[in-house]
Amino acid sequence: MKRNIFFSLAGAAALLGMTGCGSAPVRIDTASSQGITTVHQIDFKDWQIAAEKGISSMLESGAMKRADGRKTVLMVGNVKNSTRENVNTRILTDKIRQAVLRSGQAVVTTAVGAKGAEETAVRQVRELENDDLFNQSTVQKRGTVIAPDMSLSGEIVQQQRHSGRTEESYFFIHMVLTDLATGLAVWEDNVEIAKQGTKSIFD
Amino acid sequence: MKKYAKAAFLLAVLAALTALCACQDSVNTLENTDKTARREYVNSRYFSTDSYCRDRITILGISKTTTDAGLMKLQVQIRSNRYGFWSELWSDIMGANPYHISYRVDWLDAKGMKVNTATSVWLPEILMPGEVKFIQSVAPNANCRDFFISFKEN
Repeated sequence: MKRNIFFSLAGAAALLGMTGCGSAPVRIDTASSQGITTVHQIDFKDWQIAAEKGISSMLESGAMKRADGRKTVLMVGNVKNSTRENVNTRILTDKIRQAVLRSGQAVVTTAVGAKGAEETAVRQVRELENDDLFNQSTVQKRGTVIAPDMSLSGEIVQQQRHSGRTEESYFFIHMVLTDLATGLAVWEDNVEIAKQGTKSIFD
Repeated sequence: MKKYAKAAFLLAVLAALTALCACQDSVNTLENTDKTARREYVNSRYFSTDSYCRDRITILGISKTTTDAGLMKLQVQIRSNRYGFWSELWSDIMGANPYHISYRVDWLDAKGMKVNTATSVWLPEILMPGEVKFIQSVAPNANCRDFFISFKEN
């Protein structure tokens, strides 16, 4: 009898010990397939997939190429977050603007953005024109900043569904490139990401 | 009595196998044989370290083109070989139906140096049994001349 109690206690202690075991934090390769996959949130892999598909489609379209040979000046506009999550869409737009710059098809302005200038220094340095501390010939002149030709904007929409213990999220990432002279969309594409998971009966 | 039980068991096994056969959801394909498109095929060398992945995916062709923007575009046509009764049965048991793979495309410039891009990451691809997929990638800039593609099972 005592022996049974001892084995039961030892077994329970071993199980408790096993459930208490964790693993030390490790760095993972952001380019790899590692990383946490959640159903209702946009994980870093999802941003990478969306960026890769969006960039490939945009570069392939040649929409940024100008007939006069000058490089298009692109501004990053608003990417509306219509999901239930608090997401920073900058992860997507930064990847796209870097790819645009590296492609050589366009240059990106930071003097204009969706919420005002991204780089406030452009305006700030021009306010030095009345400051006698500075050599006025070195102060940036007004009327030299180049206005954008095109704007990149978009929206992220999420749709959630549940059926029994199975839950699903569908993310629809819409991107559009607008010619600011005409207001016409010169390129548009969507990236769709669907994720599904089944909850444990203990959840 | 024992004889009837044995026969019933065999019938049950047969019914189960027939049901499993009926559950196959492999992809059937149809294509024109008199091709009009002129593909620029790329000679390639395949180095496999995973015999399972090598046997489960057939590389049907690699072709390239140049976009209007002057960028090299690459297309790899692959087919999942995980079709047929035993293959699908096994992948169902292993929870590997559909087949999940990842791929990564690295681009190299005219001097063979890797061009760093935001897109050189492992990307997922899901293949139904027998499905043919076209993996495409556009070079990040006009200086890219060569490529290097990696595949792996997930």
